[in-house]
Amino acid sequence: MSSIISTLPRLWTRRLLTRIPVHLRTRCGVSLITAAALLFPLINANDADIDAAANALAFAALALGLNIVVGFAGLLDLGYAAFFAIGAYAYGIASSWQVQPEWSSFWEPFRWLDLVARYHLPTGDVVHFQVSFWLMLPIAAVIAAFFGVLFGAPTLRLKGDYLAIVTLGFGEIVPIVARNTPSITNGAMGLNGVAAPQLFGYDFGVNATPYYYVGVALVAFLILTSLRLKDSRIGRAWMAIREDETAAAAMGVDRIRFKLLAFAIGAAFAGATGTFYVAKLQTATPEMFMFPVSVMVLVMIVFGGIGSVWGVVVGALSLQVLQSWFLEDLSGWLHSLGRLVHIDWLQHVELASSIELIFGLILVFMMLFRREGLMPATRRTAALTLDEQTAQAGRGGFDRLPALAAANPRAAGPLLEISDLTVRFGGLVALRSVELNVPAGTVVAVIGPNGSGKSTLFNAVTGLVAPDRGNILFSGEAIARSRPHAVLERGIARTFQNIRLFPNLTVLENVMIGMHARLDTGAVGALLRLPANRREEATAREQALAILSLFGNRLLPRADHLAASLSYANRRRTEIARALASQPKVLLLDEPTAGMNPAETLELADQIQSLNRHGLTILLIEHKLDVVAMLAEKVVVLDHGEKIAEGSPAAVRRDEEVIRAYLGRSAACA
Amino acid sequence: MPDLLEFRTVDTHYGDLHMLKSVDYRIAEGEIVCLLGGNASGKSTTMKAVMGSVVPTSGDIRYEGRSLNGVSTAERVRRGIAPVLEARRLFPRMTVYENLEMGAYTRPRGPEFDEDLARVFVLFPRVEERLNQLAGTLSGGEQQMVAIGRALMARPRLLCMDEPSMGLSPAYVEQVFDIIREINRQGVTIFMVEQNANMALEIADRAYVLQTGQVVLSGPAAELRQTELIRHAYLGELTAT
Amino acid sequence: MSDYGVLLQQVVNGLSLGAMYALLALGFTLVYGILELINFAHFNVFMVSSFVGMWALELLGISGQGRVLTGLALAGALLFAFAVTMLAAGVLGVAIERLSLRPLRGVRGTAAMITTIGVSYILFNVILLTVGAGSQNYPNPLPVVRWQLGEVTLELRELLIWAVALVLMLALHLFVSRTRLGKAMRATAQDAEAARMMGVDVDRVIVAAFFLGSALAGAAALIFGLYYNYTSFIVGYTAGLRAFTAAVLGGIGSIPGAMLGGLLIGLIETLGGQLIAVRWTDVIIFSILVLVLVFVPTGLLGRATPTKS
Repeated sequence: MSSIISTLPRLWTRRLLTRIPVHLRTRCGVSLITAAALLFPLINANDADIDAAANALAFAALALGLNIVVGFAGLLDLGYAAFFAIGAYAYGIASSWQVQPEWSSFWEPFRWLDLVARYHLPTGDVVHFQVSFWLMLPIAAVIAAFFGVLFGAPTLRLKGDYLAIVTLGFGEIVPIVARNTPSITNGAMGLNGVAAPQLFGYDFGVNATPYYYVGVALVAFLILTSLRLKDSRIGRAWMAIREDETAAAAMGVDRIRFKLLAFAIGAAFAGATGTFYVAKLQTATPEMFMFPVSVMVLVMIVFGGIGSVWGVVVGALSLQVLQSWFLEDLSGWLHSLGRLVHIDWLQHVELASSIELIFGLILVFMMLFRREGLMPATRRTAALTLDEQTAQAGRGGFDRLPALAAANPRAAGPLLEISDLTVRFGGLVALRSVELNVPAGTVVAVIGPNGSGKSTLFNAVTGLVAPDRGNILFSGEAIARSRPHAVLERGIARTFQNIRLFPNLTVLENVMIGMHARLDTGAVGALLRLPANRREEATAREQALAILSLFGNRLLPRADHLAASLSYANRRRTEIARALASQPKVLLLDEPTAGMNPAETLELADQIQSLNRHGLTILLIEHKLDVVAMLAEKVVVLDHGEKIAEGSPAAVRRDEEVIRAYLGRSAACA
Repeated sequence: MPDLLEFRTVDTHYGDLHMLKSVDYRIAEGEIVCLLGGNASGKSTTMKAVMGSVVPTSGDIRYEGRSLNGVSTAERVRRGIAPVLEARRLFPRMTVYENLEMGAYTRPRGPEFDEDLARVFVLFPRVEERLNQLAGTLSGGEQQMVAIGRALMARPRLLCMDEPSMGLSPAYVEQVFDIIREINRQGVTIFMVEQNANMALEIADRAYVLQTGQVVLSGPAAELRQTELIRHAYLGELTAT
Repeated sequence: MSDYGVLLQQVVNGLSLGAMYALLALGFTLVYGILELINFAHFNVFMVSSFVGMWALELLGISGQGRVLTGLALAGALLFAFAVTMLAAGVLGVAIERLSLRPLRGVRGTAAMITTIGVSYILFNVILLTVGAGSQNYPNPLPVVRWQLGEVTLELRELLIWAVALVLMLALHLFVSRTRLGKAMRATAQDAEAARMMGVDVDRVIVAAFFLGSALAGAAALIFGLYYNYTSFIVGYTAGLRAFTAAVLGGIGSIPGAMLGGLLIGLIETLGGQLIAVRWTDVIIFSILVLVLVFVPTGLLGRATPTKS
């Protein structure tokens, strides 16, 4: 915004704009856009133009829906037009002359509800469906959502490009089925006699204006829905899945549920739009819903900005404007130019029909040069002050901790009990009959040379890897083979050896995702933003900032910076903050001081120690034995997947077996 | 003895992570030099820098007296540096013979190729037996033999070995180290990264010990074998700041 | 003709179609094996090549099916047409790689695949806008010769397909198993990093894969025209769907898999059309695609594809 202002000439407009306070700028912008949208048909009474605008709005709605699946959740759906078709045919069949089953008493209650009518034909009485457009809008959305789940379910375990192909497959099957079942859909000839909507007795007919306003309302509603979802627990969960599915699961996000939710909501948008579109057109043919339509919506969101709500609306509208108006005008100018310079083909070129070529060019161009789109989803952040940039490594750890799960520090019995744990990868035995007890309130360190199975141990505990044999008990409950998000819910949080943050999300968002399992707001709550939801979100934000402030001015000034822009050490700290946000009882830290200089190492060691003093049980993989000696009460040594020693740090350090494991056997002992 | 390979105050970074910190190495022709160190000490990064998959952010790597700055991996192989990769990394669905051929990729076919092949067969009789077997079906120890043979097919002056004993049974480890001695005796300089410090120091002439990207110890292998300091470095005690 | 005879005829037809799909699938799978990239543009390279073949034959003065050649003249004309078509296709494939894919080499995710969708669109629409939507009559110098074997009719054009397909598949097999560049391609597909350490120029290998793959598509395109006596802007989509499914069914990235998959899909298409209905064959093939990807992603002959590193 500020860049636009600075380029405006020194007019009173510039002075006027800068006088509007920052937080009201968005509201002003939205009001202006809303006013323009509402006034448009009054300014330009041309019915063809209004109809084109209504079409543009339909595609904006589709773009918003696809944006949820592709932009928010990162699931590349190449068959999105199928849901458009389903919504269209649902309304089409429910309100046209297409399907007329024989009358029977079964239909009587529906007639009473005015959903069907009874028609007398020479051959007998038949049922005529006449479901109201307004009723069908949400029903079609629900039907489409159902199919969204149906088509999405098989793709849950597939990687990105395979997922795309499967959705493409479904996307093609739907219109072909529509074409091949003429008894229901009238095949390629298209549904006939789809009823126009009626509002309080007023029939919409063929005038484009009422449809236009319905379109405006639909798009406005979908924009609001998208914005609310994006800025909520749901949106964060989707984006976490998009950035790093595994880390998202480890932080408590139920991947299956949220992927299906994205498919469902995205499909619902398309279903409602399908109903709107077919009501306006009063017919539907299979050709309207084939692969090129899916690609067109994809081009729109790529052009506008994947993940950006306003961006994809701008993308859709601008490409539609391009197609409906600009290209025709441009063709006209080229014709005149051709006449002027006597070039024949210029006089006959029709750019409007080359719109698909232009789409292809746009897609390639955007992918090569501006993958983030016209209006990128990520915001730029203010630069840091000099004070905020430098940080001194401090000692002493944390003196107070925000709400962590009240752990009973010295409760009887071990908190984490691992017995006979065996993990095999094909022929390789990564862990062999490992036994490990972590008493509540202690710090236990796991050490060992490269490849000894330490990270595999963590993966088995947190559900990322299923053990072949063995038990893992957490507070007495078996958790082996649980799904990762369930493990987090019980109170076990972790960090990763190679730091798995969500790179395109801010530091604050990363930490708030850690809270995912402790918050309650669902899709409905995110949409409605009831006081309870707003309170929960505000509290969550406060807590997240409080956790960030634990690390002094290292993280807090960077709360709105993208995680990818942080230094290695700060990313490590953010990852720990994220794990803390989930209020764990046990914290699994995988080489937390890797890559840090000695001063930073000691600072972090102090912080870990203070976490333990405040009641957190800690299981630590660490190479720096000084750190281990400082923190751990008990050390477990792994080598080639087996436990070879256990005891106090001092004892382990002197243990011959341990030394041999690290330094290798000499030839004499081989 | 002129230096075959030299690192002059080489720094490498991985994003903003400082991996190698001003390291100096010198490997003279005909030596066996070992690079030791615990986890995440920078050993693998060193090997990658020699082969060219990691580019130093500052400093210079020199081979045969010339800088390797800007020299492609293929050219380095042509000049006589060949790698034996960590975890072997044979081409699993190619035969043993084809793997050996790939080692000689940068060289023309001819009498020299045949000579080298014969030399490999002498060193590794079992490799000759399994010539037409798919490399992925061999045991770990057999794969290591093929991997070394593959590197020798480049007729290298300098052999860079990344953890040759990893994942091998003790019997195979002994064999491998014997073969390394023999190859060196035949004139190939060896620069070797090893976790197994004890065995490495028994065949090495000299060694460097890395810890978090810095050289904390160096010297003749015989001396290093006696000192306690190696143990400190491996067990991650902060010996250098 | 008895039911059995009809079925047998469809088997013969299916094998001919299958050979063509196999060639198209091979080109696709070659690129996937090395880059793990689903190249949508491959199938419209096929479509464009069929037009190039048409123009090559017209250059020789052949138009329509009236002008028939035999013997040496026929061999010469076909050789010329195949050479031109395959070369043009190869060049187009390499151009696509250098201009639109190489800049995206390091980018994670589906960006490269989306770009191939865009390129595919561009090719499709360029032909549509220049040549038009109509079906083009294909110049065909092949004489129409039929042999009757029991209940089955064998035509010269089918023998041509099998001959060309066999020759090309054999040539490809010899290339990847005997030549230096071919082995470099296999090595790169199995472990690109290790291949680089052997001194392989991975960029060149990728260019070679695109060239060869596209050239095979070109051969398939010419075969298509000579078999069906027509081509149009839409053939990339129809044949492409089948070839794509063939590659996936056989095991994406596997060369023998593409060959097997091609034959199977050809048979499924003709027998499916015969036993169920032609208008449902698209759905059948899409369903196979979905089922294989969901339940047996490695296909019949493939092995677990490594995740992109």
